Amino acid sequence: MTEGTLGANIVELVDVDVLREEVKKKYREVADTPTAEFHFHTGRQHALRMGYPESPLDQLSEGATEAFAGVANPLYWGLPQAGEHVVDLGSGAGMDSFIAAIAVGPEGRVIGIDMTPEMIERATRLAHELKLDNVEFRLGFIEDLPVDSEWADVVISNGVINLCPDKLRVYKEIYRLLKPGGRMTIADICVEKPVPEGALKDIDLWTG
Amino acid sequence: MISGAGLVEVELAGQVDTFGGASGEEKARQFGTSGYAIRARKQNS
Repeated sequence: MTEGTLGANIVELVDVDVLREEVKKKYREVADTPTAEFHFHTGRQHALRMGYPESPLDQLSEGATEAFAGVANPLYWGLPQAGEHVVDLGSGAGMDSFIAAIAVGPEGRVIGIDMTPEMIERATRLAHELKLDNVEFRLGFIEDLPVDSEWADVVISNGVINLCPDKLRVYKEIYRLLKPGGRMTIADICVEKPVPEGALKDIDLWTG
Repeated sequence: MISGAGLVEVELAGQVDTFGGASGEEKARQFGTSGYAIRARKQNS
């Protein structure tokens, strides 16, 4: 979302704990019933519509793509390179982490971070099914990432940072994680019109 | 905000109609909401 309408003062408008619980509740539903009706699109066809490449998406099972709920294509500028370290913020059911794991190969590593235990459980199970042993999923908040400093060559994310009131803190965490010269390639939503304070305080609008 | 965290060469591209056809489309249109790819880099030290 655009700077100016959504600055650091949003932290003072929103109860972060309530927002986190509502977001968890929403994405727990996605994890449990990925083909149900939500206010956003989900699944493989949605990923293709957002611009994801056919390959390596075609190497993933239906189970690995059906809970995808991204907002654009963080791989717009290309896939991570062989051997690189990648961190996926708000990894959800794991689709972006799996694509990154295929791209970086056996010499690379991927860490997905998500605050929803159901998503961590689902993504971990899918990684085993896909025989991707270079990816792991950790429970945590993206404002306080459980990853060592300067570990990552690339940080990816899709549709998650907009759900965090303290975006500057998230970007500072991304900076901490990246090696010098490392890059962030994320996808997120931006708004063109000012968001009134009343709407910013409305938790329902954040999640739906 | 991204620059404020120390990242450089911030770029937006790949605009998509994220919510088009979904039940959230009306609210998304209300604020002119679109999806974007965003990239930035940490400078070499």
